[in-house]
Amino acid sequence: MASLEPPAAVTPPSSKPNLLPLPSPTIITPSAAALAAVAPTTSSSSPATLSVATPLPTPSDAELVHIPSYSRWFSLDGISECEIRCLPEFFDSRSPSRNPRAYKYIRDSIIKQFRRNPSSKITFTEVRKTLAADVISIRRVFDFLDAWGLINYSPAALSKPLKWEEKDSKTSQHAADSPAGPSSDSTPPVRETTKWLCGSCKSVCSIACFASDKCDLTLCARCFVRGNYRVGLSSSDFRRVEISDEMKTDWTEKETMQLLEAVMHYGDDWKKVAQHVGGRSEKDCITHFIKLPMGEKLAGSAEFGSGINKLNQMKDDNSSNSSSSGKRLCLSPLADASNPIMAQAAFLSALAGTAVAEAAAQAAVTAVSKVGHGEANAHFRSLHGVQGLQNASITSNGSNKLKSSEEARSGVNTMPEEKVNVEEELRTVAMVQMKHIQEKIIHFEEIDSQIDKEWKQMEQMRDILFYDQLNLLKHERSIRKTGQQAAEGTRAG
Amino acid sequence: MKPLPSTSSKTPVKFRMPTSENLVPIRLDIEVGGQRFKDAFTWNISDPDSEVSVFAKRTQKDLKLPLAFATQIAQSIQTQQTEFRSYKGQEMLTGEKIVPIKLDLRVNRTLIKDQFLWDLNNFDSDPEEFSKTFCNDLGIEDPEVGPAVAFAIREQLYEIAIQSVATARESRNAKKGRRGEYSSISSRSTGAALDLMKLFSNRYSGVRKRKEWDVFEPMVDMLSNEEVAALESMVERKPR
Repeated sequence: MASLEPPAAVTPPSSKPNLLPLPSPTIITPSAAALAAVAPTTSSSSPATLSVATPLPTPSDAELVHIPSYSRWFSLDGISECEIRCLPEFFDSRSPSRNPRAYKYIRDSIIKQFRRNPSSKITFTEVRKTLAADVISIRRVFDFLDAWGLINYSPAALSKPLKWEEKDSKTSQHAADSPAGPSSDSTPPVRETTKWLCGSCKSVCSIACFASDKCDLTLCARCFVRGNYRVGLSSSDFRRVEISDEMKTDWTEKETMQLLEAVMHYGDDWKKVAQHVGGRSEKDCITHFIKLPMGEKLAGSAEFGSGINKLNQMKDDNSSNSSSSGKRLCLSPLADASNPIMAQAAFLSALAGTAVAEAAAQAAVTAVSKVGHGEANAHFRSLHGVQGLQNASITSNGSNKLKSSEEARSGVNTMPEEKVNVEEELRTVAMVQMKHIQEKIIHFEEIDSQIDKEWKQMEQMRDILFYDQLNLLKHERSIRKTGQQAAEGTRAG
Repeated sequence: MKPLPSTSSKTPVKFRMPTSENLVPIRLDIEVGGQRFKDAFTWNISDPDSEVSVFAKRTQKDLKLPLAFATQIAQSIQTQQTEFRSYKGQEMLTGEKIVPIKLDLRVNRTLIKDQFLWDLNNFDSDPEEFSKTFCNDLGIEDPEVGPAVAFAIREQLYEIAIQSVATARESRNAKKGRRGEYSSISSRSTGAALDLMKLFSNRYSGVRKRKEWDVFEPMVDMLSNEEVAALESMVERKPR
C-alpha cells in the first residue's frame, strides 16, 4: 500500500469538538497532524494530493457528500477496523443487544437520515426518536460518527426552529399584534460586518438574532419572541442567526497583530500570549487565533513557502521550531530569521495576502538583481534548501517587503494564475515525496526477501544438522551392537 | 391435583425482561415552568450510571430546553432504573405464558390499533425486530412509529413481568403458610394462560375463528393536521 497517508490518520481528532465550524472557502481541518483535503466520497479515486484551498462546492448535486479525508476508510457496505476499534462494545459479544448487525443498522440509519438533508445539522435527539434501539448505543454511534466527521460535517448550518419555539412565537405574535403597530415601521437596521443592531429596539444583538430576508429586518431575540415585527411577517419568515462571543468584543487589527506576534514568540504558552495581547483572556486568544483565516492567506502565496511549510509539517523534519500548530509553522520559518526586521517583514507578508506578496516578490526580484543581496540569499538558503527560484522570491520578499508592499497594493490581478502555479509546484513536490517513499518501500521489500532467503538457508542447515545427528546416533548404535556381539562371541567361544 | 397442564414449567426464573436484550422502557413526563416534555425510549440497564446525566444533558441541549430539564430528566431516568433493579434479584413465574399484547397509540399523524399474542416464555423475543417488520409490512413512512411500537410492546411486557414477580412472591408466601389456598392463587395468576390452553386444546387446528379475525388485525390510520391538533388539545385539557 503505497498511498500517501498522513501518519495520524487513524487517531480521531480529539480537538475537533472544541472548535467552531470552518471558515467557508478553506478546508483545513482543525487536526494539526492531518493535512486534509476534502474529498467527495462518491467520486474520489485520486491519491491524496495536497490540494490547497479549493473552494467548497455548493451542495447542489444531491449525491456529493463531503467528509474529511481522515475518514476515508468509511463505506456503507461494511464495517471497518477503525469502527471495531473505537466501538469495541458492539463487537465483543458481551451483551446480546450490541452486535455488529445492530451497529450497522444504527450507523446506516443515522447516516441516511443525515444525508437526506446534509446542509443542516442533525441532532442526537432527532436520531434517537427514529431508531428502535436503546438510546445509549445510539448515542455512542452518533458521537463516533460526529467525531469522525461522517455526519454534521458542514459549515455552521442553521438549525430548524423547534416546534415549541414556533408555537411560542405564534402565540406571542397573536398577543402582541396590536401593540406592535407603533414599532412596525422600524427602519432596516444598520448591519455592520461585526455588529447586529436590532431593528425595533435598537439594541446591540448579543447572543442570537433573527433576520428576515423577506423585508431585510433584523431583530434581537427579545423582540422576536415578543413579536415586535410588522403585521405582514410571521415567525417563520425569520431565520435564526447565531452570533458568537467573538462579535461581542471586536478584535481590532492591532490586537490581531499583537496576537500573532505573541503566538510566534511564545508558541503554545497561551498565558504569555494573553498577557502580550492585553485585555484578552486565554480562551479568547485561542478561539480567535483558530478563527483567523490564516490558511487562506498563506495557502496561495507564490513563494511556495507555505507549500514547503506544509510538507515540513507532515514530515516534521525541516522546521526549526516544534510543530505544534500548523498555522504557526506557516509563519515561523520565515519569521524565525535572526534579524528582527526580517521577522516583521515576514509578518507583514503573511498579513498582506497572496496577491500582494506575489506582486511584491516580482518587484523585489528585479530590485534584488540590481542591488545584489548575496548575503541575504545565502542566509535563507540555509533555511530552505529546496528550489532556487523559491529561495530568491523568499529572500526578496523578506528584504524588500516594506518598500514594495505599497507599490504592489495598487491593483494586481494575477491571483488565479498564481494559484495554478502553486498547485503545480506542490504537485511536483508531492510526487517527489511519493517516489521517495516508494523507493523506501522497495528497499524494505528487498530486505524482506533477503531475510526470507536466509531463513530458508537456516532451516536447511538445521535439517542437515539433524540428519547428521541421526547418522551419528545410528553409527554409535551399530558400533555398540557389534561390540556387544563381539563380546558375546568371545565369551561363548 | 395441580390445575395446570403438565407441559408448563413452574421453575422460577430470575427476573428479567422477557426479551432477547435486557432493555427497560423509560417514560418521561416532565413539566418545568410551563413547558411539558414527554418522551418514551428504551434504555439498556447494564450501562453505567454516568450515561444518565450525559444523556439528559444531551437531550436538553438538542431540544434547547431550559437547564432545569436536564436534572429532572436524569432524576426520572434514575428512579425508573432503580425500580427495575429492585426487581432484579427476585424470581418470577414463567408458566405457559401466552399473553395478548394490545397496541393503541398515536405517533405524530399515524394512529395504530392492534392486538396479538406474545409468548412470555420466549426470552429470545425482540420487540424491535417486530416493530421493524410491522412498519415495513404496513408501509409506514414515519420513522418515529417503529420505536414507539417497540416501546409500547416493551412496556406491556415489563408490566406483565412485574406482575409475575408479584404472583411468584404471593405463591411463595402462600406455600409457606396455608397450603390450601395455593392452588386457588396459582390458578388466578395463570388465568390468562389457562384460558389460552383451553382455547388451543379444544381445537383441531390452531387457526383462529373467523369472527375473531378483525379483533386481531392491525389497523393503521393517518390523521390530518386538524385532527391531530384537536386530539392534542383534548389530551392537554384532561389533566386540568
